[in-house]
Amino acid sequence: MLRIDELRKRYGEKVALDGVSLTVRPGEMFGFVGANGAGKTTTMRIVMGVLQQDGGEVRWEDRPIDFAVRRRFGYMPEERGLYAKMRVREQLEYFGRLHGMAPARVRRSADDLLERLGLTERRDTEVERLSLGNQQRVQLAVALVHEPEMLILDEPFSGLDPIAVDALAEVLLERTAAGVPVVFSSHQLELVERLCDSVGIIASGRMVAVGTVAELRGRERHKRLRVVLSDAEPGWADRLPGTIVAKDGDEVILEPADDQEVLRQAMRLGRVEQFGWVEPKLTEIFREVVA
Amino acid sequence: MKDLGPVWLTARREITVRGRSKAFIIGLAVTILLVVVAVGLPRLLAGAPDRYTVGLVGAQSDRLAAVLGAQAEAAEDTELTVVNYEDEAAARAGVEAGDVDLAVVDNARVILAETPDANLRTMLATAHQVVATEERLRAAGLDPNAVQQAMQVEPLAEVSLTGTSGKEAGLRRMLAMAIVILLFVLIIQACTMVAMGVVEEKGSRIVEILLATIRPAQLLAGKVVGLGVLGLLQVAVIAIAGYTAAQFSGMLPELPEDTGGVLALTLAWFLLGYAFYAVLYAAIASLVSRQEELQSALTPATLLLMGGYFVAIYSVMEPAGTVTRVLSVVPPFSAMIMPVRAAGDEVPAWEIGLAFGLMLLAVLLVLWLGGRVYERAVLRTGARVRIAEVLRAR
Repeated sequence: MLRIDELRKRYGEKVALDGVSLTVRPGEMFGFVGANGAGKTTTMRIVMGVLQQDGGEVRWEDRPIDFAVRRRFGYMPEERGLYAKMRVREQLEYFGRLHGMAPARVRRSADDLLERLGLTERRDTEVERLSLGNQQRVQLAVALVHEPEMLILDEPFSGLDPIAVDALAEVLLERTAAGVPVVFSSHQLELVERLCDSVGIIASGRMVAVGTVAELRGRERHKRLRVVLSDAEPGWADRLPGTIVAKDGDEVILEPADDQEVLRQAMRLGRVEQFGWVEPKLTEIFREVVA
Repeated sequence: MKDLGPVWLTARREITVRGRSKAFIIGLAVTILLVVVAVGLPRLLAGAPDRYTVGLVGAQSDRLAAVLGAQAEAAEDTELTVVNYEDEAAARAGVEAGDVDLAVVDNARVILAETPDANLRTMLATAHQVVATEERLRAAGLDPNAVQQAMQVEPLAEVSLTGTSGKEAGLRRMLAMAIVILLFVLIIQACTMVAMGVVEEKGSRIVEILLATIRPAQLLAGKVVGLGVLGLLQVAVIAIAGYTAAQFSGMLPELPEDTGGVLALTLAWFLLGYAFYAVLYAAIASLVSRQEELQSALTPATLLLMGGYFVAIYSVMEPAGTVTRVLSVVPPFSAMIMPVRAAGDEVPAWEIGLAFGLMLLAVLLVLWLGGRVYERAVLRTGARVRIAEVLRAR
C-alpha cells in the first residue's frame, strides 16, 4: 500500500504542493487528474525520489521508502527519456538488469512486453528510428520490464493511438489483478473513468477530491435531472422550476431547486416518459470541483 | 558503493553503444590507416632495389670487385653485378650496348655512356680510393691490413653528467613527446565523451529513470570507467596495428631500455589525470541541459587541460628547466608533465612520490566536490545551474 501524507514542496516563491495526501491500495488503479501545473508531476517525482519534498512523507507498506524499495517500483517520467542509439530490446534488457534482474528473466520479460505492445518486429531497431508513438510504447515497456511492485506513470496514455491505449490498458489491468498498485496521471478523463478504481483530483497543489469513481459521483449525484415529456406544448421546458442545462426536443436536463416540484409541474405539462437523476461524468465532476 | 553491479552494467553499456557508433568506428579506422601508412610508408616508397651492372677490365679488377661487392652487401636495397671484360675495347662495346652501366679500366679510368646515379658514383669513388690506397701502401712496403687496423680508433667514450648519452637522450625525447601527445589526446577525447554522455542523459531525462534505480555515484563511475576502458582499448588497437606495421617495414625504432617501466608509469599517470578531468568534465556537464551549451561551459576546464598540454610540450624540450620541475609536482599539471620529465630525464624518487601524492589528493577532492555537483545538478533541467547554487543547496 502506498501512503502519501501531507506532502509539501515549493519552488522559490511558488507553492507546488500544499499538503497532498492520498492512499493507493494493493491492486488498485489510481487515476491522478488535475490541470497542468496542479502538482501531479511534482508528487510523482517525489514518490520516485528524483525530487526532495520540503515536508510530508511517502510510505510504502507502512515504512518510509528507501533506495532499495524504490528500485522495485516502475516509473515513467513526464519527459520521456530513452537512449536514442540503443536498440529497443537492448534498452529493455539494460534497464531490467539495472533493476537487478537476472539476464534470462529480463529477456523473457522484455520479449513478452514487446509482444504485448506490438513491438516484436522493431525489437532490433534503434529507438531514434521509431515513430513517436512507438517510442512511447518502449518507454512504457522500460517502466514495466522489471515486473515492478508498484507503477508510477506520468501521462502514459498521451500520444498513443486507440489500439495502443487498449494494449497498455490491458497490461496495466493485468498488473493490478496481480495486486500491483498503479498510479497514473492523465487528461483523458473518460479513460480514467473507465479504468480506475479510485480517482484523485488535484488543484493548485491540494487534493480537492479523492475517492472511488462512485464516491465522487455521489457528491454530484443529485444535481441534474433528466426529464422527457410527450404530448406537451412547445416551450414546456421553460415552465419547469430550475436552471436548464441542455434541451433537445422532448428531453431537458436541468438543475432543479426542488425535484418533486419539477415532477409535479412536468405531469401537468404533458405525459412524463422519463424522469431521473443524471449520472455525472468524471469530466463534469472535475469541472465542478476544480472551479 | 556496496553494489558494483550497476557500475559494471553502465560501463558495459558505454563501451558497447559508443564502441559500435559510426563516429567511433570510422575515427578508429582512419587513425589505424594513418598510423599504418606512416609506419609502412618508407618500405612502400623504397620500391624495387637499385640494380647496377659494372664492367671491370685490367689491373686491380679483383680487388675492385670485392670492395664494390662488400659495399652493395652493406647497403640494403642495392644489387650489384660485375662483368669482367677481356680488354678495353670489349668494355667500351659493353657500355655502348648497355650491357653495363659503366666500365672501370685499370682502376684508373671509367668509361660512361651517361652520368651514373649518385649512389653508384659514391660506391665507385669509395672503391677506387680504397683499392688505390692499398696498392700504394703495398708499393711503400706496408701491409694494408695492418694499416687499417692501426687506423681503427674507438670513438671517444662519453661521460654524461645527466646520466644519459646523446643518442639515448634523443630517443628519450621522442618517447616523451609521444607520451605527451598520447596522454592529451586520450584524456581530452574520453573526457569529452563523458561530458556529452552526461548531457545526453540529463537533456533527455533518462537520468530520472536511471536515478530512480541506481545511485548518482554509480552512474557517474560507470560512465567514467566505461569510456576510460574504451579509450585504452582504442590506444591498444592502434598500438598493435602500428607495431605490426613497423615490424613489417623493418622500421621498429630502437627504444630506451626502460621503456616498459616508463609506459607503466605513464599508464598510472593517465589513470589519475583521466579520473581528475573526467569527473571535472562530468560535473560541469551536469550543469547544462543542452549539448549546445556544453562547449562554452567546458571552456575553463578545457583551458586547464590545454595549459597542461602546452607546458608538457615545453617540458619535452626542457626536461630539467625550473618551470618543468615545479609544475611537474603541481596537480593537475603533474599528470602530463611528470611522465614526460620521467621519460626524458632522471627524476628523484621523492619528487615522483610527491607528485603522485598531491595528484591523488586532487583526484579525491574533485571526486568529492564533482560528485556533489553532479548529484545535485543532474536532475535540475532547464536553465544552466550555477555551481555556487548547487554547492550551497542542501
